[in-house]
Amino acid sequence: MHRTMKSLKLMALTAPLLALGWSGAAEAAKFKLGMAVGGQSVDWQKAQGDLARSLAEARGWDYVELSNNDDAALATKNADIFIQQGVNAVIQFNGHPEVNPVLAAKYAKANIPVVTYDIAQPGFYFVGIDNLAAGLAGGAALGEIAKSKWNCDVDLVMSAEGAGAGKINTWRTGGMRDGLKTVCPDIPEDHYVSFESNGNATVALPAARDLLAAHPDAKKILVVGINDGGVLGALQAAEQLGRADDIIGWGQDGSFITGPNVNPHLAGSVFYFLEGYAAYAFGDVIDGIAAGSPPPMKDTGDDPASKVKPCPVSKEAAAAIPDMAERLKQLQAAPKGTTEFDLFCPK
Amino acid sequence: MADALSSSAVSSNWWGALKARLPGGWGNAVAVGAGWLLLIIITGLRRPDFLSHQTILAVSFTMAIVGVLAVGQALVGVSGGYIDLSQPAGLILVAYAVTKLLEANVYGPLVLVIALVIGASWGLFNALIIVWGKLNPIIVTLATNFVVGALLFLVFQNAQVPINSDFAVNGKGYFLGLPNIWWPMVVLVLVVGFFLPRTRAGRHAIAVGGNAFAAQARGISLRTTRIAIFSLSGLCIGMAGILFASSNGPFVPTAGATFQLPVIAAVILSGVSLAGGRGSIWLILLSVGFLSTVPTSLVFFGLSSYWQAVFQGAILIVAVAIDGYRSRRQAR
Repeated sequence: MHRTMKSLKLMALTAPLLALGWSGAAEAAKFKLGMAVGGQSVDWQKAQGDLARSLAEARGWDYVELSNNDDAALATKNADIFIQQGVNAVIQFNGHPEVNPVLAAKYAKANIPVVTYDIAQPGFYFVGIDNLAAGLAGGAALGEIAKSKWNCDVDLVMSAEGAGAGKINTWRTGGMRDGLKTVCPDIPEDHYVSFESNGNATVALPAARDLLAAHPDAKKILVVGINDGGVLGALQAAEQLGRADDIIGWGQDGSFITGPNVNPHLAGSVFYFLEGYAAYAFGDVIDGIAAGSPPPMKDTGDDPASKVKPCPVSKEAAAAIPDMAERLKQLQAAPKGTTEFDLFCPK
Repeated sequence: MADALSSSAVSSNWWGALKARLPGGWGNAVAVGAGWLLLIIITGLRRPDFLSHQTILAVSFTMAIVGVLAVGQALVGVSGGYIDLSQPAGLILVAYAVTKLLEANVYGPLVLVIALVIGASWGLFNALIIVWGKLNPIIVTLATNFVVGALLFLVFQNAQVPINSDFAVNGKGYFLGLPNIWWPMVVLVLVVGFFLPRTRAGRHAIAVGGNAFAAQARGISLRTTRIAIFSLSGLCIGMAGILFASSNGPFVPTAGATFQLPVIAAVILSGVSLAGGRGSIWLILLSVGFLSTVPTSLVFFGLSSYWQAVFQGAILIVAVAIDGYRSRRQAR
C-alpha cells in the first residue's frame, strides 16, 4: 500500500512534467523548411521564395528564408545557418554549383534532405526544367517561323550564350540550335555565330551590336539564347543598327514575352514558370519528407525527382498568359498539386 | 590643360605652336589618335567591310554613355578626387527614375530635368559625405555604390522604359547619320573641355587637384570646389542615365557595372591624372573612341566577346602604368 501511494505521488509529480515534455516535443516536431533563394537580380528568384513561404505556411510549417545573393561564400554560410536553425529540409537555388559538393557534405552530416532547383548535385533531389527539351522546343518553334517566312534561307543565326551557366547553357542554347536544325537542317554551319550575353540584355546589347556590324550583309537573322534577356539584347542591337526588320528572336524563361513592353521582334519564348517551382518541389518531394516517407533519391536532370515541363509559347499566345504576380495568385488558390503548366500553358 | 598652358609659354617654333594648340597633353592626343587610326587600318585591311556605316553606328552607340560618364569621372580625377566608384549605382538610380516617371506619363522634358537633378543630387550626396566626414572619396563612393545598389535590388529586379514612348524611339534614332545619343556626349565633352580651363571655377578645380595646400593658400575653398565638382560629375551621371534608359532595353540593378572598366580606362588613357591637376577633357573623345572601337574590331578578327574584357583590362593596366610614369617624372 505504501509502495502504491509512493508510486501515485511520483506519477502526480511527473505527470505535468511529462505533459510539458510532450508539448515541447510537439513543438519540436513542427516541420521547419529552409529556403535559400538565388539572390540574382531577376524577379522570379524572389517569387520562388514567396511561393515556398506561402505553401509552407498553408501547411502550418515553420519557414526560414535566406538569400544566397548570387554569392558562393554566402551560399555556404547559409547552409551553416540552416543547420544551426535545425531545419528539416532545404530547398535551394544556387547559381554557384562549384560549392554544391561542400553544401552536400554539410547537409549530409546534419542529415538534412535538400531539393535543388535546376542545378543538379549528387545527393540533392533535383527539381527542374528539362533544359534540353526546352531548348529543342524553342528552336523548333523558331524554325517553323523561319520556314514559313524565309523558307529556311537564313543568313545568320545568333546565339546569346550564358557560359557561366555551364551545362545549362549547353542544353538551352545548344538545344535551341539543334531544335532549329530539326526544321531547317540546311543552314550552313558558318552561319551560326555566338556572343556572350550573361543572360542579361545590358551585357548582350553591345556584344550583339558588334557581331551584327561584323555581318553587314545578313538580311535574314535568327536569334536563340539562354533566356529572353540575352535574346532581347540582340533584337535591340538590330534596332539600333537600323536592321530591326531583318531579325526574329525566340527566347527562353518567358520573362519578357508578357505585359505591355514586348519587343515586336521577339516571336516567342519557352516558359518554365520558374516562379512556380515550389509547387513541384512540395508535391513530389517535401510533402513526402514532412510525412515521414521521403521519396527515393533522384538527383540528376535525366531522372529528376520532379520534372518541370517546358511550355513554348508564341507572342500571340503569350498575350493570354497573366503576369507573374497574377500567376502566383492563381497558383496559390488552385487545388494542391496543381502546377503553372496545368493552369497557363496553351493547349 | 596645365600642360597646355605651360607648353604654350615655351613654344617658339611651329611644332611648339602645334603642341600648344593641342588640347592637354599633345603626346597623349597623338598616341591615342595614332593607336585608334592604326586599329582602324589593320582591321580594315583584314576585313574591308569594317569600314562601313554599321561599324560607325556600333562604335558610336558604345561611345555615347561611356563618354558622358568619362567626363564626370575626369572632372573628379582632375580635381584630385581620384576616382568616383559610385557611377554604376547612380546611373541605374537615374535610369530607374526615368522609367517610373515615363510609366506615370510625366511630361518628357520634365523627366529630363528631374533625371538631371537626381544625378546632381547623387553627386552632391557623395560630396557631402566626403567633405563633411573628411573621408577618402574612393571608399565613400565604393560604399554608396554598394548601399544604393543593394537598395535598388530591393526596389526592382527589372525595369524598362515603355518601348513605344518617344523617349525609347529617340534613343534608337539617328541625327546626321549618327545615333541621337552620341551627340549629347560630343557636346558635353566639347563644352566641359572648353570651360574647365577657361573659367575661374574650372581653374580652381585644376588647382585643387594639382596641389591642394597651395590652392588653399591662394584662398580656394577645398570644400566648395569638391562639392561643386562632385555635383557636376553627378550631373553627368544624370545625363548618362537618360541616355542609358532611352537606348537600352530591360535593365537590372547591377547593369551599370558594365561601364565601370571602360570609363576608368578612357579617363586614364586620355591623360587625366588620377592624382589630380592634369588632363584634358577633349581627349576623352579620342580615348573613348579608341576603346569603343576595340571590341568591335575584335569581333571582326573573329575573336569572341570574352576577349573584350581581356583587352580592356590590359589597356587599363598600360594606361595606369603610363600615368604613374608621368606622375613620377613630373615629381622629379
